[in-house]
Amino acid sequence: MRFHHLDDLWAGRDLIIKLAWSDFKLRYKNSVLGFFWSLLEPLLMLLVLYIVFSNLMRVQVEYYQLFLLLGIIMWNFLDRGTSMSTQGIVGKPSLVQKVYFPRDILIISTCLTALMMTLLELVVFVAFMVIFRITPSISILYFPLIFSLHFLIILGLSLGLSALNVYFRDVQFIWRLVLQVGFFATPVIYPISIFPTDLQGLVMLNPVARVLTMLRNCTLYQISPTTGEMAYLTLSAIVVLLLGYFIFERLEPKFAEAI
Amino acid sequence: MPVQVQKLCKTFQIPHERRTTLFENLTAFLRPNHYETITVLQDISFSVEEGESVGIIGDNGSGKSTLLKIIANILRPTTGQVKVSGRLTPFLELGVGFQPDLSVRENVGIYATIMGLPAKEIGRRMGDILDFAELRRFEDAKLKNLSSGMQVRLAFSTAIQTDPDILLVDEVLAVGDMDFQKKCFEVFERYKKDNVTIIFVSHDLAAVRRFCDKTLLLSNGRQVEFGGTNGVIDKYIYKEEHQINQIGEKKTRWGNKRIEILGVKFIDKNGKESDKFLSGDPFLARIYYEAHEPITSPIFGIVFYNQETYCYGTTTKFKKIDMGHVIGKGHVDFFLERLPLLEGTFQVTVALAPSDYKFAFDFHDRLYSFQVLRVNEDLGLFDMDGKWSWEKYG
Repeated sequence: MRFHHLDDLWAGRDLIIKLAWSDFKLRYKNSVLGFFWSLLEPLLMLLVLYIVFSNLMRVQVEYYQLFLLLGIIMWNFLDRGTSMSTQGIVGKPSLVQKVYFPRDILIISTCLTALMMTLLELVVFVAFMVIFRITPSISILYFPLIFSLHFLIILGLSLGLSALNVYFRDVQFIWRLVLQVGFFATPVIYPISIFPTDLQGLVMLNPVARVLTMLRNCTLYQISPTTGEMAYLTLSAIVVLLLGYFIFERLEPKFAEAI
Repeated sequence: MPVQVQKLCKTFQIPHERRTTLFENLTAFLRPNHYETITVLQDISFSVEEGESVGIIGDNGSGKSTLLKIIANILRPTTGQVKVSGRLTPFLELGVGFQPDLSVRENVGIYATIMGLPAKEIGRRMGDILDFAELRRFEDAKLKNLSSGMQVRLAFSTAIQTDPDILLVDEVLAVGDMDFQKKCFEVFERYKKDNVTIIFVSHDLAAVRRFCDKTLLLSNGRQVEFGGTNGVIDKYIYKEEHQINQIGEKKTRWGNKRIEILGVKFIDKNGKESDKFLSGDPFLARIYYEAHEPITSPIFGIVFYNQETYCYGTTTKFKKIDMGHVIGKGHVDFFLERLPLLEGTFQVTVALAPSDYKFAFDFHDRLYSFQVLRVNEDLGLFDMDGKWSWEKYG
């Protein structure tokens, strides 16, 4: 049954890409600076946070600028992907009510749009790495793998949230609050080491906290993830994805009526 | 079998108080929400053969569009099932997914993909689509800068590039000017020739009659009839007349029957009984009578109606015909060399009266009907056989 659905998604790959690409283009089409806006936003945030944390709060982290930038980019990916997805179904009534294709295509394409925006920001990150003369070690090969798992977590959350938001329209606002709290509860702007050891374990239960730490380790500090870390992340990504997909699949039949 | 519908039921739950947010749901937790269950479709079963065109007719709110959406998999059945085999394309609305801020070319790409056209086909047919929509000059313009007429044209020329096995068409397409409607029907004819199975929802009975092999009649979500188009449409029309009879207690037959009309046959140019005639063909109405006692100079009358419109009426007396003494059985013919009606279903009244019209022997009020199919492109009820000519002054 599930594999059958994968066939449908594969058949709809043209549509997924087309929707994602057109949405991506639309986001910048009417602005003079175009794509640069998407780069400006994280850079500005980086600047503010860098000034605040490295000067006022004296965070002692090696390559703090890059540490911060990677954290912001990855958190933005999660923030954008899931926030855009809460509108992924309710914001497209004609695609739900006047035509049929597997509806998770809408969410997958929304997450792909967020992915494209993130890849663009990663270009800036690479530029910074060059500027700061960081030579990555072999451990950087883990980057695509961890990044892909991060994408699956975002996709899983997006599927669940988009479906719930069809029936309960304040899910989008509640999720904004969760994201705001999450930004500070996850080591985006600070290193995990500021917590006492026993609390660290608790924070690290959050798979996104793992993603950030592992990505930084393998790009900036030449530390490869342990098998345990990889296993935990893979498992949690699969659980989140399946849970999200399950919620979506249960709620999908009545989308056209409830929208 | 491309489409099979079995014992399909669909109900909608309409809450008395609509709660769309989690907050409303939580605060209203202690006050149970009452739902009203509305049955939109009940026990619908029919199947459509490959290459067949099926019309769905019925009054507003009879569930036609809901049925179409269930076949399209947009809505799901409450009970029963719908089996669809083959590639299905719904034409429920034109231009689904159009983005006003993207260019004409990009929009064609998105819309064609939504309608299921593979990427390489889109590239290949892009030129055709733009030419057919007559928008080649504007291919790089933003969609929002096009007039709504241009947008519809663009959507239509894109949509018809799809090669479905099954096509679902909703009424919505039938809006638009005459020229556009004509184009639509040309395209549907082409699909029909290509053996595409078509399900067509419409209020336009003439279009259904012209186009559909079979028709499904719905009334308040129930299946009234499924079968040959003409029979089903007649049933639909007669049902309406029947309702008038009940409400207005209008009688359809009266008279003292001293001389009785036994029946009426419509006979075509081949001498065969028929209820379908081509516009301009010979038409004969044969009225069979039986006089139970000797009658002197009875008058036969015939009247043609199109719904409530009284089209034409005449009697043997108007035409200075005197039948003299009549006893026993016989028939009277009313003959038209050229049927001057253009298109539609016509109801016929046949009456028998004494020479002074004081009362009726037998009056059959609109008990008979026949259809006329047009053979040219003229429009309206009557074929006035007009001719054009010109003279140029410059």
